[in-house]
Amino acid sequence: MSKYIILGVVLVGLAAAPLTGDTYLMRMATLACMYAVMAASWNLIGGLTGYPSFGTAAFFGLGAYTSGILATLDVALPISIAVAGVVAFVVAAIIGFILLRLKGHYFAIATLACVELLREIANSATDLTGGGMGLNIPRNADLGIFAEASLFFFAMWGLLALTALVCLMVERSKIGFALACIRQAEGAAEMIGVNSTLYKTLAFALSGVFVAMAGGVYASWVHYIEPGDVFDILLTIKPVVMALIGGVGSTVGAIVGAIVYIAAEEVIWRNYLDFSSGIIGLTVVGLVLFLPHGLGSLHLRLRGKAVTP
Amino acid sequence: MTFAFRDFRSVGWSAAAAVLVAGTMFGTAPAQAQAKDVIKFGAPLPLTGALSPEALKAKQGFEIWMEMVNKAGGIKVGDRKMKVEIAFVDYQSNTPKAVQAAEGLITQEKVDFLFSPHGSGAAKAASNVSEKYKVPTVAATASSTQVFDQKPRYLFGTYTPNETLLAPLFPIAKRDLPSLKKVAIYTRNDLFPLALSQAVERTAKKNGLDIVFNEKYAITALDHSSALSQLKAAAPDWIFVFGYTNDNLMIRKQMIDQRLEAPLITMLTGPSYPEFVEAAGVAGSENITGASWWDAAVRYTSEDVFGSTEGYIKAFKDKFGIVPDYGHASYTVAAVALQLAIEKAGTTDREKVRDALASLDAKTFFGPIKFNEIGQANSYDPPIFQLRDGKTVVLYPEATKQGDLRLGVK
Amino acid sequence: MIFVQILVNGLVLGSLYACIAAGFSLVWGVLNVINLMHGSFIVLGAYLALGLYLSIGLAPWWSLAVAAVLFFGIGYLIQRFLINRVIAAPVLLSLTLTFGLDLIIQNAMLYFFKADYRSLKLDPALGSLAFGSVVVPVDRLIAMIFALLLTLALYIVLRKSRVGRAIVAVRVDQGAARLLGVNIPSIYAIAFGIGTAMAASAGTLLALTFPIAPVASYAFLGKAFVVCVLGGLGSVPGAVLGGLLLGLVETFGAYALGPEFAVMLSFGLLILFLVVRPQGILGRWGFE
Repeated sequence: MSKYIILGVVLVGLAAAPLTGDTYLMRMATLACMYAVMAASWNLIGGLTGYPSFGTAAFFGLGAYTSGILATLDVALPISIAVAGVVAFVVAAIIGFILLRLKGHYFAIATLACVELLREIANSATDLTGGGMGLNIPRNADLGIFAEASLFFFAMWGLLALTALVCLMVERSKIGFALACIRQAEGAAEMIGVNSTLYKTLAFALSGVFVAMAGGVYASWVHYIEPGDVFDILLTIKPVVMALIGGVGSTVGAIVGAIVYIAAEEVIWRNYLDFSSGIIGLTVVGLVLFLPHGLGSLHLRLRGKAVTP
Repeated sequence: MTFAFRDFRSVGWSAAAAVLVAGTMFGTAPAQAQAKDVIKFGAPLPLTGALSPEALKAKQGFEIWMEMVNKAGGIKVGDRKMKVEIAFVDYQSNTPKAVQAAEGLITQEKVDFLFSPHGSGAAKAASNVSEKYKVPTVAATASSTQVFDQKPRYLFGTYTPNETLLAPLFPIAKRDLPSLKKVAIYTRNDLFPLALSQAVERTAKKNGLDIVFNEKYAITALDHSSALSQLKAAAPDWIFVFGYTNDNLMIRKQMIDQRLEAPLITMLTGPSYPEFVEAAGVAGSENITGASWWDAAVRYTSEDVFGSTEGYIKAFKDKFGIVPDYGHASYTVAAVALQLAIEKAGTTDREKVRDALASLDAKTFFGPIKFNEIGQANSYDPPIFQLRDGKTVVLYPEATKQGDLRLGVK
Repeated sequence: MIFVQILVNGLVLGSLYACIAAGFSLVWGVLNVINLMHGSFIVLGAYLALGLYLSIGLAPWWSLAVAAVLFFGIGYLIQRFLINRVIAAPVLLSLTLTFGLDLIIQNAMLYFFKADYRSLKLDPALGSLAFGSVVVPVDRLIAMIFALLLTLALYIVLRKSRVGRAIVAVRVDQGAARLLGVNIPSIYAIAFGIGTAMAASAGTLLALTFPIAPVASYAFLGKAFVVCVLGGLGSVPGAVLGGLLLGLVETFGAYALGPEFAVMLSFGLLILFLVVRPQGILGRWGFE
């Protein structure tokens, strides 16, 4: 039960950001929601199913460009985002069907290669995406600063709530159980009749939907995207680290991990310019070596107890 | 490997961590103390990451200006002088972070005016923020017209459009090489180089030349051997290579490896920097033509704190020990333009300064600065030069010409 | 004839790629660890060559020996004390660990060496050799020869020396190797050290051909991935074949489709192989 309490606290806490009227804080909060969506989505395939996907950026970019291109054609934001989600679901299902027969490192690399491939495709399809010149998404000049910041904040926040809902439902449902079986022993799971192909493809497809929608919101929020910005490897790696912080396998953990990471990164960025990436590297190393089960296991580690998965 | 938040203690730990981090985040927010006779400028720069060499030049460009202005008492606003402060923020060569940095400078650091991040792409992305908050912003290095195509009110760029860089070289080339017919273009798949290549494509076609090779290379490309072999087979008279210094260097080296020769080779933007000659060597860079928006060989008298181009070069050399290149100068003139606009407006009110920028017609050490209706400068002739014996020889404009075009690059 | 020139370009480039990937392949094949620091070690080797050349005039092929010894030690220590702790854990952890370590190395490089691109220019310059209308740059030729020599040396070590055979044994069947008395952690550390040494050695040679900057490491890493998948993990001949294949695909692909597609082509090929033949040309079905 406690994880629902934490989730509720987090969502309410985030929603309080607009109350401060501070648009910079709202920008940070919007970013935190975005990464939380990505971390929780990654958790579906990487944490619950045990297939380490490095393809998050591929879906993000796909969603950003789908929604961005539709926006330049004067499609309303909610529709363009929804379409981005549907497109990502279909594409992820197809990619997943092909790639999910690979495991471990091979799967990771294949998904990473997808990111690179999509980025180069975006770079080359100049007529559609603007290529290396980038894509301009029209600005709504009527909206005031605060109104625009609020719009995008709540869009991202709403998306986070939706993602959390779906992920938690998956965790608790038969699908989640099947995924856990696949993660622990796929061969055995198949033998007892779990259709692993179906479930892992579903998980992979779901992991793409919300990320793509977040990409769509992002594109309209920033008004200008370039292939290198949205198909950025960092967009794939950060959600993984965030999920690690919160404890791989837990939706709420991934969300909390995202917020902790974003807050920490901001502090480090503000204060330790020259060493920011090194410090993040050190943190990641420390996390992997000493707290591979996430911050939540800190108290157990300190007492020298074993962490039972 | 699942660890669910079943235990309240784990809840407590995670919550404590989050609160601690968030708390330090706000605790370290910069003090809002704002002295009343200080004008604060915001400068988001790629101080770390791939673009950091540019940021170093930018910082030096800004610092020499700030020092000279404050030494003279500050910027003249009406009947008093106000000192200058610049807030530098690192956006890690990452465009989305540049946008974040711009917003942070406006809302947290509460700067009065803003400078754009480096390059056309980031300047465009960040301009959305300055348009929203209505903060006059000067872009030091945004030359692509695409940056201004949405007609921003508050963004002004001190670079003339990309087309102006190389267009004047065509008549010179045609005159000195009557057999000029075949042109080859090889460009990096990136906003600025692409804009340059498109401009050159148009100009070449207008001049009746044949484009026998026109290809793009990926940003992360390491090997150009295939493209250069093809280029060589097309036997062009004039080769254009567009990209950044490291691309130009790599391509130049691979050209030499393949014994690719041509009467004319023009490269942007490598040859505009001393680093290019250092790395390529005197022989490797001999007779390569390039262009940039400023060169230390130009001469202007000016109404800014430097008084003239020589004044600027001297001040810069005294402080930093090197002759400034166009990277440094671009940022200095961006600051100079803002300063002159503030002085012309007589106030730090953003709207009035914005109007002053729009109607600015000033003489600076960089050249005369005047902006067109979409905010781009169109008031001076960017110098075209050729590298000879490790030094730049200006070919154009006539006023600062130092020599004639020499053909043949080995 | 341009066809021959492009063929030569591809083969020479391919051997550079083989050189880049050999160490990476060994580590991945034997330890089942993807060393994301590999690209950074290559760049560090290049910086070492540059530094030694500028300070004491040591040519890169001698710096190679220095780089090999120094980075063997560094790699050994990193594996023994850091990576070994997550060697038995899910691959995600080792991936993330090497990623974090790479971040630290990148930050250090940026801090100490700055981001600008440097070149190692030999004086007098090496120039190029012409065979009829086909031109081959001497520096790439030297790098190619050394690359092949290094990979040959590695192959011999793996086949003939005790340590080498122990490494191969661990790759083939860890359990059996342990039963036969092989000290697994030690072998792991040695293999990782060899991988790192090869990366740095490759870097000293590549310093002549490519510009050196911290950010260049990602381009090298990307190539290493593709070569390994194409050629098969843990297989030295595989790295050579994979490298040559990639070099040829890129050069002919750039010729046929245009240079901007060269990078896309290499990743497309990667995915194709992963789907159709994940063990690569010469590898056996590796670990997960």
